[in-house]
Amino acid sequence: MAPCAKLYRPQWILWSCAFGVAVTLATLLAALLMLVWQSLPVFAHSGVGLLTGTDWYYPEQIFGALAMIYGTAVVSLVALVLAVPLALGAAVLSAEYLPPGPRLAVKSGIEMLAGVPSVVYGLIGVLFLREWVYKGLEPFDPISGDSLLTAGLLLAVMILPTITTLCDDALRSVPAAQRAAARGLGLTRAEAVLHIALPQAAPGILAAALLGLGRALGETVAVFLVVGRQDGQLPGNPFSLTAWISPGQTLTSKLGGPETHIAFGDPLHWSAMIGLALLLLLFVGVCLAAAWGLERMMRRSTDPVAEATP
Amino acid sequence: MSEKNTIAHRATEGTEICGSGCGSSSATSVSPCEKNSPLLRVRNLSVSIGKAAILDNISLEVPHRTVFGLVGPSGAGKSTLLRCLNRMIEMTPGARVTGSIHFHGQDIFAPTFDSDVLRTRIGMIFQQPVVFPTSIERNVLFGIRRLRRLSRSEGTDLVEKSLHEAALWDEVKDRLHASAQVLSIGQQQRLCLARTLATDPEIILMDEPTSALDARSTEAIESLILRLKTERTIVLVTHNLGQARRVTDWVGCLCPSVSTGAGEMLESACCDAFFGSETCRRVFRTLADDETLS
Amino acid sequence: MTASRRLIRFLLPSIAALCAMFALTAVIFILGVLLVRGLGSIDWAFLTSDTRSAGAEGGILYQILGTLILIATALAVAAPPALAIGLTRVVFLRSRPRAARVVDALLHALNGIPSIVFGILGLLIFLKFFDWGKSWLAGGILLGVMILPTLTVSLVERLAAVPRKYIEAAVGLGLTREQIITAVWLPQSWSGLLTGSLLGLARAAGETAPILFVTAVFSGATLPTGIRDNPVLALPYHVFVLAQDSFNDDARANLWGAALVLVLLVACFNLAALPLRLNLHEESRHV
Repeated sequence: MAPCAKLYRPQWILWSCAFGVAVTLATLLAALLMLVWQSLPVFAHSGVGLLTGTDWYYPEQIFGALAMIYGTAVVSLVALVLAVPLALGAAVLSAEYLPPGPRLAVKSGIEMLAGVPSVVYGLIGVLFLREWVYKGLEPFDPISGDSLLTAGLLLAVMILPTITTLCDDALRSVPAAQRAAARGLGLTRAEAVLHIALPQAAPGILAAALLGLGRALGETVAVFLVVGRQDGQLPGNPFSLTAWISPGQTLTSKLGGPETHIAFGDPLHWSAMIGLALLLLLFVGVCLAAAWGLERMMRRSTDPVAEATP
Repeated sequence: MSEKNTIAHRATEGTEICGSGCGSSSATSVSPCEKNSPLLRVRNLSVSIGKAAILDNISLEVPHRTVFGLVGPSGAGKSTLLRCLNRMIEMTPGARVTGSIHFHGQDIFAPTFDSDVLRTRIGMIFQQPVVFPTSIERNVLFGIRRLRRLSRSEGTDLVEKSLHEAALWDEVKDRLHASAQVLSIGQQQRLCLARTLATDPEIILMDEPTSALDARSTEAIESLILRLKTERTIVLVTHNLGQARRVTDWVGCLCPSVSTGAGEMLESACCDAFFGSETCRRVFRTLADDETLS
Repeated sequence: MTASRRLIRFLLPSIAALCAMFALTAVIFILGVLLVRGLGSIDWAFLTSDTRSAGAEGGILYQILGTLILIATALAVAAPPALAIGLTRVVFLRSRPRAARVVDALLHALNGIPSIVFGILGLLIFLKFFDWGKSWLAGGILLGVMILPTLTVSLVERLAAVPRKYIEAAVGLGLTREQIITAVWLPQSWSGLLTGSLLGLARAAGETAPILFVTAVFSGATLPTGIRDNPVLALPYHVFVLAQDSFNDDARANLWGAALVLVLLVACFNLAALPLRLNLHEESRHV
């Protein structure tokens, strides 16, 4: 036999890896297809009305999710508006002002927020936040402490650690040479942060906000416990804020509730619930895709010093 | 040039006196008060970063409108010394500085001394040019915009003036709004210089400004330095002895001490004196691997 | 320097510090409340006895056991595919950056799927199609798929950090790709799988939504004896149910105790992963 002839070696590692990947992909694909398939009846029944209908009353087979979409939007908006500035501020502190030791301490402290399970957040929401909101809103005569606002406040704290960590990473990825050049010109540290670091970290910060949004959209348990779970609360006037302080419903709180079990018996009802799940997936998917695109954009423009042709 | 000798004599401290008449032309007229007080005076400066000693008991004086060169082997602490002169050493974690540096007679490390203001009067050029990701025009005005309000016409005039001074105007005058990052590396370095010049500093610190550049850009920057020193003072770190000979009026040589490894000032002398001396020959031998004396 | 510049120089770090302090206050509040209200209920009896009177008396033994069973199953379900995908991503797709990006995107997407969607899928597959009734295995599988990205990403990070020189040396010695995997890649990166596993376990332990429909019951279950119609109790579900009916004061003390145990359990896994995570940063600095 020639000295370097290739011996046949069974590549079992390669094949088992390929198998593993294939099985995973197939499962995910099958799951997605199943969701779509199971939701077809309600789209046949209501068409686009699923998204635009304002009432949801399953005994009469009225399936309109607009109020839930509105609730999801409000809750997420409140959470973002509160969480992003706070997270950015904390990230600026840890990335730009703190020496390595305290920076690690602050980052770890904030990351502990991420380690708390969502059901515990829900518990704290029920037993504390609810009372505080109720008392705080007294001038407006609220029905109870459960409302879209309460859910938004709770969510803000839940997504805070994610956004903070990602903003910190984005800021740290701006090269130190840029800041040094700015300081060398006589810019103050604050000016270097505001005019050099933040603008260059902007895509990463935006991606962080989008990922936080994705998380907020999909959170079920904590929102379920404090949102009030009241259907059909779509305000007549888009600028009225009364809906914010009243109990409401989000896509996730509906899905996590008793109706999912009830729907088991009725195929149309069931497909409506699946339709809601698909809607949720769609919204979350858009956020994640946008964040993914921004992150790739940031990674591509890392080193601005040109090795251009002379 | 006996006037120069007198200055040289008074400016050095316990080091070799410049005996031979300095042939180096420093064609500036030095005013009487400037004659007596150097622009920058460093006394007993020692720097350590963490546990490592970087500089040991450095003293030197930089006269007005000269080019002061800092030479020596790598690792001697030249860049660290430069960073002390505009207090950028404070941005290095763990850095401890003892000794004093006086700028116009005032101690720059005094707590009441504003380091941000200092850096507008002592500018810095780095080894790797750092342009901001914006247009050429905005790059030039980046620093000066913080200091005072500029009207549109003032801004454009200043951009033109600074780019002229940095010998970059002709190459970019048609594309001031283009991104600065498409410039070649030699052009970027001159842009950094223009940006620094726009803040009108008295002193410009240059940390090996040409080591990343090709021969043509190096030549351009060197002639620029010779032109600049009529108006401003320059402290130049270079490990290229040829460059030091071409461009500097005064040379300080830093070498790591055998005992501590920290840089110490071996000699500070006017240019021609230095290049004839024994110290120079010794340093040349250590630098012979990385550079040629051209 | 103008007054406004001085003002901004002062304001920016001050505001940033206030933001950070708010976040830290939230952490301290949450942990403090849990400890203050929950620590009192926890004793050995609490951890080892059965629940009685719908949570008002007794302990949380079977909830703890149920959670442990679920997360162990999840790990068993997630680890093999994680290994397969991780190796594929780093070793086999090294020369195909586009396919590698697809894999990354898929993992990213999987990670972002809301947990309730997993619950719904579980309802669909295990209850409707397989007709399993409530089953611990269904929950374990769902949780496993959910933590798959966590394990994989951690493994991929570690695999990618294996220094090229080891691979080159192995290639130079004439090892086949499979041999290099067993001799170099895996030994150098198993800690990544371990870290990912610990983080995944932490995540799975705290999840409620996936097990809401297909696995958990509030009472009546102890240890499973089969697959179909064998629900388990679980800590997160226990807290979830009690939180909705929080007017019974007796149950309230135990409720905090259960919540605290859950948080401590999750924290244990997260903390166990910490030294390995810090290690990775150390090594990537030397490489």
